[in-house]
Order: sequence, then C-alpha cells, then structure tokens
Amino acid sequence: MKTSLTALYDNPNIWRASQRTSCEQKYALGHQPLDHALNGGIAPSGVVRISSHTGIGELSLFKAVLTEPQKHKLRVFINCPAIIQAPWLNAFGIDLKQTLAINTQSDDDALWAAEQCLKSTACHCVVLWNNKLTAKTARRLQVASTHNDALCLIFCDNPRDTSLPISLDLSLHRHEKNVTVDVLKQRHGWPVKGISISLPWTPDNTAIQSAMCKSTSQQQAFNSVI
Amino acid sequence: MIWAYFYCYQLTLDAHAQCCDAQEYAEPIITYSDKDNCVIQLNQAATNAGIERGHGLAQTAALCPHVNILTFDADAEKRTLTALAHRLYPLASDIMLDSINGIAIRLDNLLQYYGSYDILWNVLTQEFNHAGIHYHYATAWGIEAAKLLAHQGINRCGYTQQDIARLLSTCLLKHSELDNKTLSTLSKVGIHNVGQLLRLPVHELGRRFSNSVIQYLTALRGETFPQVTLFRPSEHFESFILLPYEVENTAYLTRYITQCITALEHYLRARNLLTSLLTFTISYREGQPLVFSVSAATPQSSLSSWLSLVNLKIENITLLAPATSIALHCEQFELIEEGTTDFFSNRFTTIAQKQLIGRLKAKLGDTSTYTPALGDSHIFEQQTCTNVVTEKVVQYTAVSPTFLLDTPTPLTASTKICFGPVRLESGWWEQRNYKRDYFIAQTEVGVRLLVFKDENQSWWVQGVYS
Repeated sequence: MKTSLTALYDNPNIWRASQRTSCEQKYALGHQPLDHALNGGIAPSGVVRISSHTGIGELSLFKAVLTEPQKHKLRVFINCPAIIQAPWLNAFGIDLKQTLAINTQSDDDALWAAEQCLKSTACHCVVLWNNKLTAKTARRLQVASTHNDALCLIFCDNPRDTSLPISLDLSLHRHEKNVTVDVLKQRHGWPVKGISISLPWTPDNTAIQSAMCKSTSQQQAFNSVI
Repeated sequence: MIWAYFYCYQLTLDAHAQCCDAQEYAEPIITYSDKDNCVIQLNQAATNAGIERGHGLAQTAALCPHVNILTFDADAEKRTLTALAHRLYPLASDIMLDSINGIAIRLDNLLQYYGSYDILWNVLTQEFNHAGIHYHYATAWGIEAAKLLAHQGINRCGYTQQDIARLLSTCLLKHSELDNKTLSTLSKVGIHNVGQLLRLPVHELGRRFSNSVIQYLTALRGETFPQVTLFRPSEHFESFILLPYEVENTAYLTRYITQCITALEHYLRARNLLTSLLTFTISYREGQPLVFSVSAATPQSSLSSWLSLVNLKIENITLLAPATSIALHCEQFELIEEGTTDFFSNRFTTIAQKQLIGRLKAKLGDTSTYTPALGDSHIFEQQTCTNVVTEKVVQYTAVSPTFLLDTPTPLTASTKICFGPVRLESGWWEQRNYKRDYFIAQTEVGVRLLVFKDENQSWWVQGVYS
C-alpha cells in the first residue's frame, strides 16, 4: 500500500496544491493583497474573465499585463465599448504600433477574431468585450491561448453564475476610492472574496481640495492671530 | 523555316471539360453555334449517341434528348486559346494565334535549344495534353501550308522538303483558304487537290485569278516570309472560367476559384513572383458584374494561403443573380527577394501579424481592423485616428478618456465631480464651433465618465475611464 502511494507521489503528472511551482512566471498586478490571493499574479497564458461595470478602472487594474514590454507582439482590443483612445493608451504605456483594434458586427465574429488572434502567435494579449461566452467557446479560447502562450482578458458586465473552464474568473466592484476584487475561481488556488485595493485611475481634484483645506485652515489660524 | 500548326477543333468543349469532373463529362455534350444552327463540337458520348457535326438542334434532340448543350462563343474560345499560348510561351518563342482556334509555332529556331525535333515536339504536345486541349497538327515550311495540312487532319510531322511536298500534294483544296468562287472555278477544270494546283505555272494562274489567290499560293509554297504578328504574353495574370452551370451559392464557386488560383500559383512560381492583391470578377447573365478584391498583408503565392483568405471573403458575399462566369485578375507582382529576408529578430511574428491582419480583414471587412494612432489635435474627437498622421508627440491633456463615445449622450445618472474643469474650445476653422467645460464625474456605482457642460448649460457624457 505504502509503496503504491509513493509511486503515485512521484508521478510528475499529479499536481497537488501544496506543491506550488515557484518557477512559474506570473505577471504581478502590483497590489499586494491581490497578488497574494492570486499566488503571485496572473499567469501569462490562459483566459481571464472579469465581470465588472465599464468605467471603474477595470483596464487600469491590468496595467502590468498590458504594458509588459513584448517587442513585436500585438495587443488586440476586440469590440471595445466605444472608440478606444490613442492618447490614453500612449499615456498608459502601450506601444501604439503594436496595438490593434477590431470591431465586429456580431459577438460570434468577435469570438472568432479572438481565437484567430490567439492562434496566430502574433499576439501577446487579447482583450475582448463579450457577454456571450459559453463553456464551449471559453474552452476553445482557453486552449488557443495556452497553446500559443498568449493571455486573453474577457470583460463582461453581466456576471453569471456559470462556471467556465478558464484560468481565472474575477469580479470587480467599486466602493468609494477602493476596488473590491472577488476571485471567483482560479486554477491552482482557492477562491478569495472581498480583496480591497486602492486604485486611482483618473486625475482628480484631491490635491486641490487638500490644498484648499490647508490654506483655509491656515487662513483661519492667521485670522485667529489677528 | 519549319512551322507547326495546331488546329484546336473543340476548345469550348475542352474548356468545359476542365471545369467539370469525369462523370459529368461522360454525358453527351455538344457545342452549338446558334448563328449557323448546327453542332460544331461534340464529345465521345455524343458521337456514340449518333450526333454528328453539322446536325441541327432538332435532329440532335431527336437523337439524344438529354444532351448537354454549350453555346459557342468566339470570345470564350479566343480566351482559352490565349491562355494556352501563355502556357506555351515559356517553351517556344515565335507563337502566332490564328483566328480563334489555331496556334502556329515556329520550330526551326528552337532546334538549338532542344537538340532535335522529336524532343521539341514531345515538350510541346505534353503541354497541350496537360492543358487538356484536343488538336489536329501538322508541320510544314510555312504557316499556310501547315494550317492546310492540320485542317486536313494529317496529324503527321514532316521536316524535310520532300515529306512536306508529298503530304501537301494530297491535300484537298476545300480545306484551304481560297474563296468559294475560286474553288468552283478550279473544280470545273478538274483541280481538286493542292498538288494539281501547285503544278500549274504561276503566270498562267496570275492571268486568271486575283492577286490574293496568287499571294496565298506563294505562301503555300513557302516562298514568302510570313508577315504575322507574334504572340506576346500580357504583363498581368488573367484567368477566366465559364461556369458549366449557373451558380447561385458562393460555396459552389470555391472549386472554380481553386482552379483560378492554382493557375496563378503556377504562373507565379514559374516567374519567381509573389502577389498581395487578387481581383475577382463574377459575371451575371445580365447587369453589372460583381468585382471584389482580396488582399493579403504580406505578398504570397501559395494556393493554400490564398484560398483560406478568399474563402473568408467569399463567405460574406451574396450573389445578386446566378453567376455565369468567374475571372481572376492579378496586376501587382513582387519579386521574391531572398536577400532581404532577415535571419534574426522576430521575423515569424511579423509575418504572423500580417497574416493575422489579412485574415481578419478578409472575414470582417477592411474597416473592421485598425491600429489606433495619435491625431494632431487638442479636441477629444480628433485625438485618435486610424492612420498615422504625426510622428511627433503631441502634448495631450491628462483627461483623455479610455473610450470615447461616437456622439455625446445626455447625462442622466446622478454623479459627483472628481476632476475639472478643463475648458476646451474647438478651432474657429472647424465646422462645428463649440466651447465646453470638461469634468470627470463619478456615478453611484463608481463608474467614472468624461462629462461636459456646453454653452447652454446642458450636461453630456462623452467618454469612459476604464
């Protein structure tokens, strides 16, 4: 009995959660609690689904992935919610020459385009906005991305309870200045809920406001002296 | 001087055989000339059914009710003949296309390249057989003599003066190009074959017949140098297929497109060329033909890569009416440059990128795919464009959104302002002159929007920050 178990333990094809391979390269997102929950960050290949509203900083969260310096590899944006802006991409740190935007008539075409991009070996990251992901299509994309060493980020705004055969399933919500990330499902790890991270993604007036507050308090102090 | 003449007596039928399979060709098929109301070409199955050349349509239908009828079209035959000449041109230099169904090739000047007439002859006939063309042939000292022999159906090659003279003397005058009046005059005095005619003294003939007859006779004797325009291949590639039946579904066109591209592949391979643009023309029985182009991001020549692109393109095309013919036209060629190919860097990625873009454009349309580029403007609407306008880095405001809506929509959700204002005014030279105060506003669910207040104090949403 013991010997047969030892033989099983030695089999390299059996993965055990306690044996995390440290050599696996991951993209750290730069937010300590989130990276810790994801065991170091996002794997460089596979499908990641992100359920969130459009406009809460969901792309900014993946800055580390999107701006990863990969020469000669494309970043593809498929069916963006509106026209993606070159100045924003530029300020974000993405090389515009290695960026491709694709607009399709239907969601099926978008999935087709995503699969072609992943299969082409020319892309480093494919970002897709799609609400029609089924288990079958998700599996296709997952296989295409893992085989060709590319990452596929899929944004959808109607989170469903269906579990998909993908690497990582995230859900984002914004509470005031922080973003709450729920890891619904991850490969080689447990789901973690309620990770709160601070994510500034637009300029805001806080600096002015604080300066104003400061100046008014100083002014009051000055007035009190008088 | 030795000329070979190939009389291609069933070009329409041969072209049809190329685009249908063996089973379809086993049916009786005829080519019918509606001008003369007679059968002019027929295949073996039609001959077996008892149909002969010269039969009318009624007689044909009576003999064989299920016969397939192709309409004779002189232009189509000429096109097939030209395509054949293009195939022969790499093998022979002096080629002359005679009317719509004859090809004359000068042999004696090719002898130094091929060594002997037998080798040359094998090379030429092999090409004819590959092209699937049926022909009668003959060789003689001039085009006219060879043509006469070929029309007679001699199907023998003579290379010496004696052989040619012997073969020619037995030829009947009715196959020659003499007009009917001359023929009847000659037959009245008992002259029916060429041998008899050539034995007559020329000055006697000259007194009785017109100048053109004498010219023809001297040409027949091989005494004049032929004044003909030799065939020159076109600089472009063209392929034309008359569909054997009217095709309503584009899926059935694939077979014929494959034929066209195969021909193109051979053409390009033989010339060490690549191409990045194919133009297809699909003709209908009536109305304007449908023209569409398929472009590849990187020049290529292989059938498989082109076919995958064309199939993607053709999936999206709907035929307005049944198609009768398909043509492929290709004008832009590029040389294969081995010297410029780079060993290093990500060459394969570059090619893969170009192939990817080619595939996407073929399936989704040319405008579906673009690389966002920086525009030279301070207005949000013009900061992103699809073509690279400027290389210089323009100083943009930090408020540029991730996504910009096509047209601003009224702001209805309750929001609070996080950043702003930034006042932007469009140029006085613009058609739509405006002055707007931009803010970044956050909704209750935490979505940050680019909003603006216009001169009428109305609030609008124009972009989103992701």
